[in-house]
Order: sequence, then C-alpha cells, then structure tokens
Amino acid sequence: MTLKSVDVILKRLAERPAELAAARAAGAKVVGFQGYSLPEELIHALGLIPLRIGLGGSDRLVELGGRYISTKNCVYVRETVGLFADDTDPYINNSDIFAFDATCLQTFRTAEVVQYYFKKNVLIVGVPRNFYLEEAETYFTAELRHFVSRLEEFAGAKLSFEKLADSIALYDQIRDEILAIYEYQATARPLISWEEVFDVIQAGYVLDRRDYLGLLQALHDELAAGQGAAVIAGADDEARIFISGSVIPPGDKKLISIIDQLGGRVVGDDLWSGLIPYVEVDIKEPTIAAVAWAYLHRTPHGALPYLDLATDGRIARLKSLIGKFKANGVIYHTLRYCDPYTFKAKETKDILENIGIPLLELHTEYAGSDVEAIRTRVEAFIEMIKLKTETGVAA
Amino acid sequence: MNEIPRHIQLSSVGSEQEYFRYPEDIREEFIQTDDIEFRDGSRVTAAEVWEYLTTVGPVKFPNLYDTSNLFTGRLSRDVTLPFTLKHNYLLMTMHERMTKAKAQGHPIVFVQGGQSVDPYYAAGAIALRPASTGIWARRQREGLTRNQDELEGQQDKQKAYNAISFEVCNSAGYEHIQEGNVPADMVAPYTALRCSDVSYGTEAHRHGPRSDQVKLLLVDYPLDHQKDKDWAIRYFADNVRRLIKNIDGLTGRTTTEDDLAREIKLHNEGRRLSVEIADLWWSAIDPPTNGKDRRDLFQLGGMEVHGDPVASLSILREAKGYIERRVRDGHKTKGVQDNAARLFVCGSCVFPNDYRCEEAGGIIVGNDNHWSDITTIINESGDPYYELAKGVLSYPYEQPLPERAKWTVEQIKKSRTDGVLFLYKWGCNTQSAIARLLVDEIKAQAGVPTIIIEDDMTRTQTEQLQNRVNAFIEMVS
Ligand code: SF4
Ligand code: SF4
Repeated sequence: MTLKSVDVILKRLAERPAELAAARAAGAKVVGFQGYSLPEELIHALGLIPLRIGLGGSDRLVELGGRYISTKNCVYVRETVGLFADDTDPYINNSDIFAFDATCLQTFRTAEVVQYYFKKNVLIVGVPRNFYLEEAETYFTAELRHFVSRLEEFAGAKLSFEKLADSIALYDQIRDEILAIYEYQATARPLISWEEVFDVIQAGYVLDRRDYLGLLQALHDELAAGQGAAVIAGADDEARIFISGSVIPPGDKKLISIIDQLGGRVVGDDLWSGLIPYVEVDIKEPTIAAVAWAYLHRTPHGALPYLDLATDGRIARLKSLIGKFKANGVIYHTLRYCDPYTFKAKETKDILENIGIPLLELHTEYAGSDVEAIRTRVEAFIEMIKLKTETGVAA
Repeated sequence: MNEIPRHIQLSSVGSEQEYFRYPEDIREEFIQTDDIEFRDGSRVTAAEVWEYLTTVGPVKFPNLYDTSNLFTGRLSRDVTLPFTLKHNYLLMTMHERMTKAKAQGHPIVFVQGGQSVDPYYAAGAIALRPASTGIWARRQREGLTRNQDELEGQQDKQKAYNAISFEVCNSAGYEHIQEGNVPADMVAPYTALRCSDVSYGTEAHRHGPRSDQVKLLLVDYPLDHQKDKDWAIRYFADNVRRLIKNIDGLTGRTTTEDDLAREIKLHNEGRRLSVEIADLWWSAIDPPTNGKDRRDLFQLGGMEVHGDPVASLSILREAKGYIERRVRDGHKTKGVQDNAARLFVCGSCVFPNDYRCEEAGGIIVGNDNHWSDITTIINESGDPYYELAKGVLSYPYEQPLPERAKWTVEQIKKSRTDGVLFLYKWGCNTQSAIARLLVDEIKAQAGVPTIIIEDDMTRTQTEQLQNRVNAFIEMVS
C-alpha cells in the first residue's frame, strides 16, 4: 500500500507543469539544468526556479534525438536532445534558460547541440577533471562565479549573502530528509520501497523546493509514525540488491521493473540520479567558493576520472553503502556508449569480488529488444545470491 | 647480408605477394641529401638511411613493403621526395631509437594525438601518442607479413577490450604499456574534449599489472570558451607545471622556464614550417605530392610522431625546399588524376585510404584532426607556462562549435576543397556527437557537399567506408 504522503508527492508532481506555467505568467523565471556538478543552490538563491531536466526510457525520443546528436551517444543524452526536438516536455517548455555542466563530455555536447539546433539560451559550467587538486578549486570557483554573473544578468538580480545562506540551509534540510527517508527502504519490513524513494527523489527535480521540503518532512513523519526508527537489519533470506553504474533517469523503468518482477529487492544505489548527490555535501559558508569546494568534495561522478584506485572516493563510497544497506549483490547498469561507467565495470567487479560481493553488469539501452536477455541474467543472478545467502557462502 | 624476401606466402589468402623495393636509380641522388639530426646530437646520413631501407627494413618488416593498395600505410611510391624515405626510416627504427633514448635517461610518456608536446620534451621526456606507441610495439616483431601484423595488432587491441571494455577506442596504449612491451614511465595526456576515451583509458591503467610502475596524470584541459577565461588559462598552466614537476621527479633534474621557452621555440619552428608547407601545397594548381605524403608532411609539424622533435624538424626543413620547387615547376604527381576531387576530412582518428581515393579520382587535401594544434603558434614572449596554456586552450578543434566551424571553413577555402568527409570511429562519442552539427555549419558557410561516415574498425566496414568515400568522390568530381 502506498503511503499517503507519497501519494501527495505524486499528485503535486502531476500539478507541477500547470503551476510552473502560472508562475512564469506571473513573472517567475525558470532555469532548466542538467549535470552532476551544477549547484542548484546558486540558481535558487537568485530567485530563479531550478528544474532538473532529462528523461529516460523512450525509444522514440532516443531515435528523434539521434537525428541531431549521433546514434553513438548514450541514450540519456539522445533522449535529452529528443525532448528538445519533440517540443512537448512541460519542463523544457517551461524553462527560460538552460544550464549544463561539463562533468560528462557528452552532456557538454548536448548543450552545444541544443544551442545550435533548438536556438536555446544555454549556459555551460566547466568542471575540472582533476577535481581533487587544489588548483581545481580555484578554477571551479571562478567557473561558478562566471555562471552566477551570467545568471544575475538573466535574473536582473544580484546574489546576496543572505539569500545564498537561506538556499543552502533549505537544500541542506532537503538532503538530510532524503538521507533519513532513504534508510527506511532498506529496513527489514519497510513501509516504503527503494523504488518509491527513488521516485520521491526524482520528484524533487522539478517540484518547488520549499514545498518539496515540506512533503519530505511529512513523509519522514509518516514513516517514523508507522515504523519508528529506521533500523537496517539484514533480512538473510533475501536477495538484497544494490544498483550502481550509469544514470537511471525518471521514466526509465526497464531494469527496475525486471528486478521487481523477479522478486529481487533493491536496497541501495550510488546512482547520480539516486542517492549519491545528497551524501555528504558540506557547504561550510554561504559563499561561491564554499559551494564550489563542497561540490568538488562530494562522491565523485564516474565521468570524473580518478587515477589512484586505493584512494578513489567513488569506490570507497560504493563499498560503504553496500555495507550500510546490507546488500549482497550489485547490479551494475551501463548504458551503451556511456564510457565513464562502462570502462569501470570490470574493475568494479574485481574489487567487489574481493570483498565477496558478486556483480552483474548489464549493458543496455532503452529499446525493449534485450528485455528477455536481461530478465534471464537478472533471474540467474538473484537465484545465485539467494543460494549464497541460504548456504551462508561469502558476504 | 640479409636477404630480401621477394615472395612470401600469405597464409590467409594463399597467394604470393610481391614486395616493394626502392629503385636503385634514385640512390645516387638520395644519398646526397641531408643527414637526419637527432636530439642527442647524433646524425644519420642519407646513405645509411638508404642502406637501412633497402637491406634491413625489407627483412625485418616485410609487412611495410607490401604493395597492396588496400594497405593504407603502404610506402609512398613518390621516391624522389627524400623526406618520405627518411620519415619511413624513422618509423622503422622506432624500437631501437626509443630503447636507446630511454637508456639515455629520457622517460617515456604516453600522450594523446592532436596535442602539442612541448612541455614533455622541455622536461626531457619522450611523448608518444597512441599511433607512435603502437608503432614502437609493432616494430619489435620482425619478419611478419601484413596480414600477420594486422592480426597481431587486433590481438593487442583485444587485450585492451578485455581489460577495460569492448567499447574502448583509445585505450591509452593500455595493451602495450601494461604488457610491458612499451616501457612507458608515465601516462599523462591532455584531457581535451576531442577524445571521449583517453581520460577513462588513462584511469584504467590504475588496475593494470604494471600499475605500480607507471605514473598516471591528466593534464586537465578546461572546456567552454576556455581561451577567453584567464582562470582557465591559469588552471591549465598549473596542470602543465604539475606535469613537468612529475617528469622532473623521474629524471631527477629541474626543468626551468628557459627550458620550456626553448622547447616552445623549437616546436614553433616545426609548426610554422608545416603551415608554410601547407600554404605552398594548397597554392599549387596540381597537388605537388600524393595524399599520403601530404598528410605525413603536414603532421610532422606536431613534432611528436618520431619520438624525436629534432629529427622531425630536420626532415621538415629539408622537405620545404622540395615542395617549393615542385610548386614552382608545376609538378604533376604520379597516381593523382588531373582535376582530382579535393577532399577535406573532419572528425577523429579515421582516415580513408589515400591511394584508393586517388584511384577513384580524388585526393585528400587536408584534415582538421592533428592539424588544429599544429596551426596554433605559441607566443614566445612572457611567462612560457601561461603562453603555452593560452595557445593550447585556443586549438580551433577544441573551441565551441561556431568557432571550430569558422576555422574549418577557412582551411576548406584555403585548400580549395570540393567536398568534406566527416569520419568518426565507432565509440568516438564526442566527435560523433557534433558530426551533423559541424557539417551543417560547413554547408551553410562554405557551400560544399558533405558526408558523414562511421568506421567500426573492422576490415569489412573499412571496405564499405571506402566504397562510400569513392561514391562521394564521384559525386563531387
Ligand atoms: S555519464 Fe554516461 S549516462 Fe551520463 S551523460 Fe555521460 S555518457 Fe550518458
Ligand atoms: S576515435 Fe575518438 S575516442 Fe577514439 S581515440 Fe580518436 S578521438 Fe578518442
């Protein structure tokens, strides 16, 4: 049974396009954005409405987008371009300006294509690939300052210390609530599933952020009332699955529904469209430099290469989340032509094998042609995990 | 004395293979030409080059003397251009020369194509891009036919697919470096937008069997109007400083600003020469060389293909005089048809077979890849780190699309191009992404016909690619 507060969130989501149109008619300005390293706080603090754009799961839009960008780009990027070409997405149509970051080079190219073919007003934020170096902080801070100055021109307002402080506080609260709610889905007899939490997280991409915080608090309260504290105890008879790898954006239900149909239970993820952007974001003061620092020190996105395996924060985070959510198998989802995650699949498998966690790589697109093949592999994987759990092998 | 194999059975097709030989009647003239000078002060005379190419090379590398037109790397028949012989000599001796240079204390650093290598050499290293790394590895295998060599090349690549991913295009030399047949000390390419693979290919070295012996570093190339942002220039300059410091850590010496300034000057000379040669070449009514020699000549200005910039420069200096004479004399190049359709190639790391284009009535007159960095002259006054960074960040190929297109159109106009091919390899995500956009803009600005072709790197596809190129030549002729 769906929780009441989840229903409310879904209802608010359905109402959001009309609400946005009304807000724009009343003079509000909307920034549609995409990218892992783009601090929403800065957009919000300027009184602009941030919308995280992009969908997945539609072969039609992928095909459409591929006519502008190539068929050799990941489906997420193709579908994003397809959304612009299709011209019916309410969030894209309600955006006055677009911002993309260069975390992934393909996102950067998306920005160029959108600018050229659809004549959109586009801002790009450069992201240092050597994000861990001291000089990267200076560079990224300057990039964000540049971004803010262009947004200020667009907004006709200046970024103030107070407004930035307010926005950071709001986003900190949102992050805290998401982290707290997320824990519930991994408990032994949860009132909320990972799939529902995932949807709730993604609802936050477009909902009004202050409203969203209220909705999250209501959900948290409902969970606490129904379940007490979130205590994650490993249910030993289950195949507890962790999802890692390429983005699973709103609309892409292919893998999740296969796992669900086969009786697998997802208990965690480190997707940038899932939990990971909310983990350990530490903005120490309301300045652009502090925002830059915090964003560079989050869990690194797979598109940002890191050259030392032993100290790789992404791997460390993956291992710690697997432990925290007591997962006993990882489904590593890679989209075709997603080099950032595909190139790391084998390496990640080897690393996890060393700690007794099996990893299944699924290399896929949005097309339905490989659904049966994926189903067979996921089924065998779940069986294998259950067997291992029952017989007490590994983990 | 070594015996030249005239007929070798090709195992895969069972036919007999004729091998190319440099004709004796050019010997006298050739051996009068300039020596090749090397970075360590040594020289090799033209007579020694001749001896190598006619007695040692054919025995060690029969594959390179294969006469088939299907062989893109076939030795040029334009044997009265001394530079082609010397260039081939330098490529054939890659293994010996690099091994010697490493023994002399020059660290080997893997870089990517289309980037300048001034800072690596300033610090005393040798910078090798994927093609050069592959050449070094393959010149260690002797006596192979072309088919055997190609097969081994594919097997090498397979190792990278297994270790990283089957979607790998640029494995950052993984297969050779981690196998140890190219004893690289460092993998340190620029991260530029041009290549979607090199950053992740570099990252993959962290789990390889030689990961404890190969230092990894990325020289981070910022994106989006980077050349107009002082902070981006400073950031890249800091990355170059870090690169040099790391190479210094290997050599035990301290590279000074003067060292970098000197190296920039040397590389600028190569870049300028290439640009001057290109202008000469393009000014001629009839192409003064075939397409393969043109490409080799233009690319020499990158000063990296031989692993010895001084050697590249010495043959480039000599080559200019030959091109000047040919242009002045209205030279007609054998194998190039009258009024050949002039093609310009955009995209990444794929090239059609020059010889077959020429058979079909075309000639490739230019390309954007590995040319944009050569046309970028670095300012020689001021802080060399800052000026180098500023120059490197202004590579036209790496600019936002309108600027890249503007520069490409300039090259197309200068080279009097009749048609543009945009070629990309399967899996080359950042070039394929803007293929349509770039050709649409070229069409709008230059009004020339264009075509986009993908190459999936298999032999059958290569044949299809060539067929499409030939059809395009017919169309624009
Ligand atoms: S990280 Fe992968 S899935 Fe995400 S935009 Fe880049 S290529 Fe696509
Ligand atoms: S073809 Fe593209 S991905 Fe491959 S090495 Fe060249 S630039 Fe990189």
